[in-house]
Parts: sequence; C-alpha cells; structure tokens
Amino acid sequence: MNQDFWSFCLSRLEQELPQQQFNTWIKTLHASEGQCDDGPALTLTAPNRFVLQWVRERYLRRISELGEEFHAVPLQLDLQLPAPGAARTVKPATAAPMNGGGSNGIHAPAGTAAAGTEAPQRESRSAATGMPPPAAPAVVIRPSEPEPASAADLAYDKTRLNADFTFDTLVTGRANDLARAAAMQVAQNPGTSYNPLFVYGGVGLGKTHLIHAIGNAVYRQNPRAVIRYVHVEDYYADVVRAYQQKSFDAFKRYYRSLDLLLIDDIQFFNNKNRTQEEFFHAFNALTEARKQIVITCDTYPKDIQGLEDRLISRFDWGLTVQIEPPELEMRVAILKKKAEALRVEVDDDVAFLIAKNLRSNVRELEGALNKVVAYARFHGRGISLEVAKDALKDLLNAHNRQLSIEHIQKTVADYYKIKVADMHSKKRTRVIARPRQVAMWLAKELTPMSLPAIGEAFGGRDHTTVLHACRTITDLRLADHQLNHDVHVLTQVLRG
Amino acid sequence: MKPVMKQLVLDIHPDAPPTLDNFVAGNNTELIAALSLLAARDQALPARHLFLWGAPGSGRSHLLRATVALAEAAGRPAHCLAGATQGAQLPETPGALVAVDDVDRLSPDAQIGLFNAFNRSLANGQSLLLSGASAPLGLTLREDLRTRIGQSLIYEVQPLDDDSRSAILRTLAGRRGLPLADEVVDFLLRHGRRDLPSLLAVLDALDTASLERKRPVTVPLLREMMQQGLSI
Repeated sequence: MNQDFWSFCLSRLEQELPQQQFNTWIKTLHASEGQCDDGPALTLTAPNRFVLQWVRERYLRRISELGEEFHAVPLQLDLQLPAPGAARTVKPATAAPMNGGGSNGIHAPAGTAAAGTEAPQRESRSAATGMPPPAAPAVVIRPSEPEPASAADLAYDKTRLNADFTFDTLVTGRANDLARAAAMQVAQNPGTSYNPLFVYGGVGLGKTHLIHAIGNAVYRQNPRAVIRYVHVEDYYADVVRAYQQKSFDAFKRYYRSLDLLLIDDIQFFNNKNRTQEEFFHAFNALTEARKQIVITCDTYPKDIQGLEDRLISRFDWGLTVQIEPPELEMRVAILKKKAEALRVEVDDDVAFLIAKNLRSNVRELEGALNKVVAYARFHGRGISLEVAKDALKDLLNAHNRQLSIEHIQKTVADYYKIKVADMHSKKRTRVIARPRQVAMWLAKELTPMSLPAIGEAFGGRDHTTVLHACRTITDLRLADHQLNHDVHVLTQVLRG
Repeated sequence: MKPVMKQLVLDIHPDAPPTLDNFVAGNNTELIAALSLLAARDQALPARHLFLWGAPGSGRSHLLRATVALAEAAGRPAHCLAGATQGAQLPETPGALVAVDDVDRLSPDAQIGLFNAFNRSLANGQSLLLSGASAPLGLTLREDLRTRIGQSLIYEVQPLDDDSRSAILRTLAGRRGLPLADEVVDFLLRHGRRDLPSLLAVLDALDTASLERKRPVTVPLLREMMQQGLSI
C-alpha cells in the first residue's frame, strides 16, 4: 500500500517541482513502507545530511499532505539517514501551523494573529490539493530519540555551510553570470581551475550565497572533502583563541588540512596584522598543495584598506570576478525564488511592484517580501497587488522620499568634494563637469523624471545636454575603471 | 490665607512590568502578533529577525522587554541589551532571543558584534529583535549591518491615536488608584503635548499633587498647577 503511495507521491511531486529539483532531491530518497499503531507509516532515507535537511525544510510538509490525501488519515512520516547501526530519526516539521500564542497567555491581538496566520495556509493547501482542509495534523511527531549524530552529519556540520545556499537556489542574471560560471568551474575542479577565486561586489548582492554554493557542490561530489566556510571575523576570533590558549600549532594544522577554504568578507582583515600573517601562511600552504581558496570582499583587491601588499598581490593569482546589482528581471526572479522558499505564491505583478521600487540589494527585496507575507497572513488575505501595496506603504514612501534630484545632486557633490552650486553652474572644467554628468546619469537611472525636467534641475540645461551626459557616462563606465567604481558606489549609496 | 498643607509622598511608582498585553495596541496589532510569534519561534513568521522603529516614546523599549519576558516565560533563553552601552561581544546562547534596543546608538565595535550575531544566527539558532529610531534606510550604521537589518521583518511602531492615548492614561491612572475624570483626559489631549512621555509626566505630577493636597484630580486642580508652572 505504502509503496503505492510513494509512487503516487513521486508522480505528483514530479508534476509540481522543476525537473532538476525533483531529480536532485526527491529521486534520491529511499522509501520504505510500514504500518504503525496510528495508521500508515512511511520512512524516507536520505543519502546524506545535506539532502535530509533540504527535504525536511522544503518538501516534508508537501509529502505529508499528499499522504493524507492518499490515505485519508494522517501519515506517520520519518526522515532518516542511512547510518551503519542505529538509524537517526529526525524530527519532522509539523504540518499544522503552531498555536499562535494562545498557550502563552497572549490575549486579543495574538489570538487574532493565530486566526490570521492559520487561515491562509489552510486555504492554500486545500487549493493545491483540491481537498478539504485537514482536520488533524498531517504529520505525527515521534518523540525525538537522543541518538548520536552520524559521521556524515558531523562532517557536514563542521563545514559551517548553509544547505539553503546552492547553485539551484541562486538566481542568475547578467549581474552575476560571470561570477556564477567561474564558481561552477571551481566547484567542478577545485584547486585546479582558478586559485584563488576572488568574488567582489556591494553588500547584499549574493557573494555569500555564491561561495556557500561552491562548498555545497563540492560536498555533494565528494563528501570526504574537508571544507570550511569561515567569516573573517570568526577567523580572527580563532586567531585570538589560539593566542589565548597557546594552540597555534593546532590552529595552523587545521587550516592547512583543508581541501576547500571559503573565506567571507576579507575587508574585515583591515589592520588585523597577526590575523593577516596567519592567513598569508595558510594561503601559501593551501595553494602550494593545490587546495582551493575562495575569497569574497566588498571591493576589488587593490582597493582593500589596511591589507598587506603581499596578500593583495596573491589575490591576483587566480581569477577576480564581480557581482553587480541585479537588474529588474533578475530582481523579479529572485523574489519568486524567495517566495518559493517561504512556500507562498507571489504573482508577477506583486514581484514586479517590489522589484521596481527596491533596487539596491537582495536583502532589501527579501525584507519587503517578508513584510508582505506577514501582512497577508495576519489579515488572512491572499497575496495580491493591493495587499502588497498596503503592506509596503511605509517602505515605498520612504524610498520615494529619498530619491529626489536634490538628494542625488548633494550626494554626488559630497562624494566628489565639489559644491552643490556647481551642479547648477555654467562651469565646464572637467572636475566639475564630470560629476555633474554622473549626477545627471544617476537622475535618469534612479528617478522617473523626464530628461527636460532633469536638465531644468541642473541649472536650466537643455534635455540634449542630459542625453549627452548619459551617453558619455555609459561609454566611460566601460573604459574607465575608477569612474565605473564611483558610479557603482554612488548608486549603492543612493539606493540605500 | 492659611497655607495649604501638603502631605509628604513616598516616591513609589507602582507601574506593572511591560507585557504585550498591557501595551495599548492601537494600530500595532500586527506588530504585537508578530512579536508573540517571534518569542515562540513560530514558523508562521516569515523571517528569523525583527526590526521595529518609531519615534521616541512610541513604546519600542516596552515592546522589546515584553517580548523578552514572554520568551523567558516560555523557557527560551533571552537577553535584552541596550544599544548605547552594548560592547563588541553579544551573548552567544544557542537558540536565544537577543533583543537590542536603539541599534542606532551602537558603537563601531558593537556594530561588528551585531553583524556577527546576524551571521552566526543560522548556526546558533538565535533570533534578533532590534529597535531603532528610523527605518533601515535612515539608519547611520555600517552598510553591511544596515542591509542585514533591512532583510528582517520590519515594523514601524505606529503612533497612537487619541482614543488609545486616553485608554493608556486611564489604565495607568487606575493602576495607581487615581480616578481620572473624563474632562481631565479631554483637557490634556486638547491642550497638551500628546506624546506618551509628556502625558505620563503630567500624570505623575497630578498623582503627586493629588496626594499632597488631598484633592481629587480635576480640571481646576490641573489649571492651578499650570499656573504654578506645570507645563503640559
């Protein structure tokens, strides 16, 4: 019976999920049937902790819903790893929403929340399955047994990788195409393609996601590889600890034993000399042994403040790739992906509304989506354009307020250390004209103002002057590295 | 004229500890609900961390302390930290709710501490509850921290309307055993500053005056105090 259910479940999931996801996560599960006191039971065995965690977070709820649909009673569902000896049972996520605070003494407002959060989830589930909402929780939780974690489990934990950040979940667009391609190369041939791989870009553009994806891909190919993701602040803490505990030998041995070192936010090395020195030696040891290093930074190597030259020059040995802010279509795609992770449905018009108004970085998009989802759940409404507008009212206003042309002029003038009055003046010397052109370009990119209106705001200039400025800056960005960097920074600052 | 006898008053303020229940919600019901979900680590909340902002006196600190107390009551470790005095090291208690009030007042070192707390939260299961004086866009913090805050679930603590203000005044007065006539509340809301700290200061002054002079709180008493220099 259960084997029948699993075939049913597979066929349904195959229809519901993208092919790649289905093959990667669902087909690798091993199902075994059974019957327990409470009704039908299904035990799923995941090949490794990585798959297990992924399935638990993404698909377990859906599988239990399908189980209930198939059997008409709740299905006892266990997810485990194939361990020699005792198998480790992992507590599945509950399918029913939590009580919403009724048990912890919260009265009216929280009670309203519980009703609000529960209703739409049930609706969406019944809409998806075409079945009436379940009356009982679909997954029965067994008390978790205190069993030792398997070796694979521990090995994955030690990598400090986030299983959510994979190439599958990374949205690709022009902004990160090159970086992604290079990262995949490195993941396929660690230590031999580009070493180090140096990824740089503004905050919140997905650098961390990309290097976790490399780690996860290498782990999937070779679970025995010794991988470590470390943020520079944690690396620094390790150095300090090694000092305090006089355990530098162990520290060195550990970092030099790695097959793949993923080190995040290298700009935090700023003036931490001993940490830099340790990293310098680890870097040399690892690259000599043809072990892969991947580095992220918020700026390109030569611009990093307070970093030793010998390190900077080594960063140039491999490949340096940039991640740029995502364009509109990519922002829409990112939102859709985030919505998928939150298990909510977001229509294109809603995604477009958010993406159009929030342009600077991915985190901000996620914050806005969170807000919309929370709002819809609280008010027990579906996510529509109207709901999104209501939910984001404050946020959208705050943004629109900031991006006035005066604000752009002031920001650019401050950045280039010229007077705001020069934005309106007739002076045409390069030191003034260039920033003015940059400001015009930014005004065109970041505000909905017409070109004549922009020209007017820059001392009553003709719209053809604005057009010329925009073309000049667009062309120069390709040739002039410094100017490109300036524009990049200014855009980030203005978009907030 | 015989001088008015004044009763000396013990300086005791019987205010109840902050809870989500005794926060007059006004237009903030969604926020209150979200906070109770945050304390309980409920997955209905779409984000792990929550940031709330609003004008001084809007009740940010009350909400932070109330949420921390709620989490503690449910057996979850929780910490409530003040941005202005917070050092570089934030508590690393696994699974804890860590509240930081006034993030805009964090020192540069403490900002890195909070940045690290964000990065480590996935591994140690912490959730952060932060407050600030302005929306993330207006916070003057390190950019990498500011955007992480912007990624949280964000709420503005909505200012109260007059009905809510009058409800708060009555509740707090009632808790002190101080009967507050309707016309006094109306008078205060019509003539005085209507932010909560100002109203509470007036309430304190009225309370003391009422006890000292053994007179009920009435508009004439209030006027008399204003003539003697009380600003409302």
